[in-house]
Amino acid sequence: MQFAEFAARATEIEAEPADLETVALVADLFADAGDDLPVLARFVQGRVFPAYSERKLDVGPRLCREAVARAAGPNVDADDVEDRLAETGDIGGVAASYDVGGQRGLGAFTDGDDDALSVREVYDELAGLAAAAGSGSEDEKVATLFGLLTRCETDAEARYLARLVLGEMRIGVGEGAVRDAVAEAFDVPIEAVARALQVSNDYGLVAATARERGVDGLADIHLEIGRPVKAMLAQAGSVADALDSWRAAAVEVKFDGARVQLHHDPAGETRVFSRNMEDVTAALPEVVEFADAHLDTAAILDGEVVAVDEAGAPLPFQEVLRRFRRKHDVERMREEVRVELRAFDCLHAAGDDLLDDPLLARHETLADLLDDTDAVSELIVSDDPEEIEAFEARALAAGHEGVMLKDPESAYTPGKRGKQWLKRKPDVETLDLVVTGAEWGEGRRAETLGTFLLSARTGDGYATIGKVATGLDDEELADLDDRLAPHVRDEDGQTVDIEPAVVLEVGYEEIQRSPTYSSGYALRFPRFLAVRDDKDPADADTLARVERLAEKQS
Amino acid sequence: MFKAIVSADTLRDTLDSVSVLVDECKIHLNDDGIEIRAVDPANVGMVDLTLSADAFESYEADGGLIGVDLSRLEDIAGMADAGQLVQLELDEETRKLHIQIEGLEYTLALIDPDSIRQEPDLPDLDLPAQVVVEGADIDRAVRAADMVSDHIALGVDAENERFYVDAEGDTDDVHLELEREDLIDLEAGDARSLFSLDYLKDMNKAFPKDAEVTLELGEEFPVKMHFDFAEGLGSVTFMLAPRIQSN
Repeated sequence: MQFAEFAARATEIEAEPADLETVALVADLFADAGDDLPVLARFVQGRVFPAYSERKLDVGPRLCREAVARAAGPNVDADDVEDRLAETGDIGGVAASYDVGGQRGLGAFTDGDDDALSVREVYDELAGLAAAAGSGSEDEKVATLFGLLTRCETDAEARYLARLVLGEMRIGVGEGAVRDAVAEAFDVPIEAVARALQVSNDYGLVAATARERGVDGLADIHLEIGRPVKAMLAQAGSVADALDSWRAAAVEVKFDGARVQLHHDPAGETRVFSRNMEDVTAALPEVVEFADAHLDTAAILDGEVVAVDEAGAPLPFQEVLRRFRRKHDVERMREEVRVELRAFDCLHAAGDDLLDDPLLARHETLADLLDDTDAVSELIVSDDPEEIEAFEARALAAGHEGVMLKDPESAYTPGKRGKQWLKRKPDVETLDLVVTGAEWGEGRRAETLGTFLLSARTGDGYATIGKVATGLDDEELADLDDRLAPHVRDEDGQTVDIEPAVVLEVGYEEIQRSPTYSSGYALRFPRFLAVRDDKDPADADTLARVERLAEKQS
Repeated sequence: MFKAIVSADTLRDTLDSVSVLVDECKIHLNDDGIEIRAVDPANVGMVDLTLSADAFESYEADGGLIGVDLSRLEDIAGMADAGQLVQLELDEETRKLHIQIEGLEYTLALIDPDSIRQEPDLPDLDLPAQVVVEGADIDRAVRAADMVSDHIALGVDAENERFYVDAEGDTDDVHLELEREDLIDLEAGDARSLFSLDYLKDMNKAFPKDAEVTLELGEEFPVKMHFDFAEGLGSVTFMLAPRIQSN
């Protein structure tokens, strides 16, 4: 397909506001794509290479501006391009606004040759550009882009070429639209396309397979050692959420490390990828050595790389970052920061994809594969909140970040942030505190009490801990006013002294030490939640509990 | 098989003529001399160079092809004094080039020719005007134009038998004219084309300032710029594609 044809189609897609129509247009493009189908399946998303591929254009906005300036014509420099860019924010529009095709290439004067750009040529040139490295490679990249721009015969070609290079097509086509369009164009179920994409991350491969071999071909696409897939992600959730949804929860330590996917080929090499599918193998030699020593079959493992001290206890995440993605001084840093693998899932073992196996079965396989129990996450299955809490307390005491709660029956769904995995967030603690004072409101609220002084119980009285003024609507304010009025002891200008009678439930983000209040503590971001009708001041929370909570959060 | 001895000057002139345009190139080691053809990554500028076997002190080759990193080879050639001889020998086994300058021996790793940008097809150009000038005249025109613009128009006024140069800046303009008597030779025909100074400045570095350069020009057509070196035994032709002015 000519690049001009693709650009014309992209223009049409960009102008189409309706999702279904957009998918139909992308499906038409795919149906007409011929040999360019794999390339076009990526180009519509602003990608030149598959997401897992190590190949990157490595062209930033600056290089792109320089190339556009060079193509733009006499006496246009990168600053001029930047000025226009500042107005519109769209490099594509800026490229299209200049006569970038004015500079001819020598190809236009070679006999019989058509100098018009094809989709294939754009891909080949960009692939060549991605391969350029070392000194002088920046100049070569600018020159290559400049060369491509000079061959753009339409404004649309210049627009989408510039956007493609910077990875943002802005035509409203995301991964979902491409998935649906492949299904529509080649008459295969969306689920089959989605599954094939999950295990391959290769839109080109999946589109071409759907066209040539249909649903059976798609089912034949499997995980491959060395080709990373997206990591399954977790939502925040509570033990209650977990036990309400599942018969029991699988509970694991939440490691404070960097997520990795380890691919081991016993006959070949071990490679380690980040959660963004970036190859980080070179930075983590001991993880590779560990895998080579402890795995003797083909496997894809999911886990975290953690920094540990001499005794093997976890160190903070910042320490891992000193190692992750490091390109230089790997050996020296290895001496300084020790990292270890903590695996918690197994996606593939000995030729079998395990994505559809239940979590517990995958974890068992993992434990069987790795003959080192320290590297496998400890996992308990429990429906008892107290048991889970005890496990969490142990994890926290050992220096970990917390616990993960997982549905024991769940499949592994790459790239999904579903409800099957929960990062347990600490319960939002609330305090029941007694109103011991107030201030008149201001402005519109001058006629009612607006700010309330809160106190916790002490052995023989009350100690102030903060003021709450947010979280109340006018009705609640009026209601509180009525409740408090009989208990006002004294007034001094703005401030009102109130005898302990009314208990409020109050939320907050943190308890801080503070000299402002007699308790010695203050609540950060206190907010009104409810009036505790059911509680007397004698039932309110004590200063001792406040102290315990403060202790726990540090 | 390739084994040759050449003066450092000739080697440097050869390399410099190509390195103004590309960082890497393929060198054909033909039995009657070497040949290099290369195009810049944007396919806008091209160089076509031949150096006859007679330009070498001794020359043996049988049609091989090597890929070289030009700046590396230039650095090595730079180690020789003007009159010194450089001996080049290809080791077919290791695909390395052994270079000897007096007592200095340098072993240069070669680049796989397949990894180097494909050699361009020569454009088929029938250009109506031809101007022969001294290299210094082009140098002067390029430097003047560079003061005001990043493009330069080269033209021939057939009626008045003039070669002229225009450069239009945002504020200032430059115009330079050479009459027939200022030129070494002129074949008059109407011609005018606009060129990027980025490229012409680089090519200008390779032009001998005190020798003839032949320009062939057309209307919105590429320019061909030709000169000889190594006492006529080497030949360089640059080609540069024009910018078409849309108004």
